[in-house]
Amino acid sequence: MSFFRVNSKLYPLVALVCSLFIIVFGLVAARNEYMCWYLVGAAVWLVLFGCVKNVLRMLPVSIAVGGVFAGIAYASAGGDTSAAVAMLNRFGALFLGAALSMSVDTVRMTRSLSQVRAPRAVTLGMLISMSFIPMLKGEIKRVREAMKTRGAGSVLNPKILYRAFLIPFVMRLVNISDTLALSVETRGFTLGGSLYSIYKKEFPAVSDVLFVIGLVAGAIAVVVI
Amino acid sequence: MENNENILAENIFADECVAALIENTAEMRAEAAPKQAAFEEKLALRAARDADESKMFRKFRIKDIVFLAVITACTLVTSAIMPLLIHVPVFGIIQLGLGLQFSVFPVVGLMKVRKAGSMTLMGVFIALFLVMMFPPMALIAVCAVVVELVVFAVFRSYKNDWACVMAGTLYMPLTIPLLYLYYNVNYTVTGAENEAVSMFIGGTEPWVIVLMTAAVVALTFIGSVIGMLISRELKKAGVLKK
Repeated sequence: MSFFRVNSKLYPLVALVCSLFIIVFGLVAARNEYMCWYLVGAAVWLVLFGCVKNVLRMLPVSIAVGGVFAGIAYASAGGDTSAAVAMLNRFGALFLGAALSMSVDTVRMTRSLSQVRAPRAVTLGMLISMSFIPMLKGEIKRVREAMKTRGAGSVLNPKILYRAFLIPFVMRLVNISDTLALSVETRGFTLGGSLYSIYKKEFPAVSDVLFVIGLVAGAIAVVVI
Repeated sequence: MENNENILAENIFADECVAALIENTAEMRAEAAPKQAAFEEKLALRAARDADESKMFRKFRIKDIVFLAVITACTLVTSAIMPLLIHVPVFGIIQLGLGLQFSVFPVVGLMKVRKAGSMTLMGVFIALFLVMMFPPMALIAVCAVVVELVVFAVFRSYKNDWACVMAGTLYMPLTIPLLYLYYNVNYTVTGAENEAVSMFIGGTEPWVIVLMTAAVVALTFIGSVIGMLISRELKKAGVLKK
């Protein structure tokens, strides 16, 4: 596959590394006066490279949560505006990094990790953990509904929480994991050094390089200016 | 007459070929026999080792990996408050907020998969996600390795339920020194928020560190015991099969 092409989606490992870069740089350079502009630019950059949905999803959360904590920082620092802006920057970087890492498809990430010869147990575990989260929310909802049907009472009561929520919930987890393990095994997944093929290999493209250059150039500009 | 002789000669030749082939195969089998026996012995030893629950080092099966991954997902879902806690200027607030879920679920995982490396695997799975939420917490994988070393030094294996409880109790409190390091870097080197610094690292009030650490350890101990009770109950009900 040619490197000189523009992919609509970022290469998973590039997205992961860039996400880390944004979070770490955001935490370290939070007090820089140009940091907020860097974050705005990075958000636009992410939108241009296909993360529009996650950026829009994270934006209101980032503003709301960051705003609350910026207010706390402003009050605790005795009316220091720069402390509030720094706190806002930290949250902005955190949510922007999260938006970028959330835009990575689980299956594509697993393929990329398999390509770089990551241990099979790790790739399999990561794939299951990432795919299981939405399913888990559904399970929690079902157990809560069962509690309501049985008239078990409030979850805030520790005894009820233990007996009517935690026990059935963990029981469901064990049953689901047994079925899932069987399903995984019948699909030919094995651990150890057995050979395997990767369906649809993932390769970085010129667009990934452009994306990284943009982020790093922005960071350098913030530090130098 | 001549035809019959030809056929006879061909038959004799064919018999000789078959005999040579059989002899050849027998020789090859004889040559491979020690290797095959050694391989089978190795497999039998491995199977016996995997079946022996008193052994520390047993091979992970797909079933184990899947269960540990599911437990990790569970821990992660319940620790979604972490991004909100990381900037609250109270020492050890992250550990206090996550202590319960990071002790209940790992203990359930350990009580089902009682193998050396289970805690490390859970630590690695969690670190892969935490690195995206709060990079310093990704060092939780290191804490998992340390916890396993401590547990194996004391109990030798996870056979005893209290070994699992000990692992669950120590897991989260071990991240406190890591976070201490992070607060130092992030707030004393890069910032000028002196008041926040003293609150975070407890530099002026060492008793804050002691009290918060004690609270976190107490919380994780309670969580671990709850995890053990849940696992025991499921075991009694026949759900938690090995």
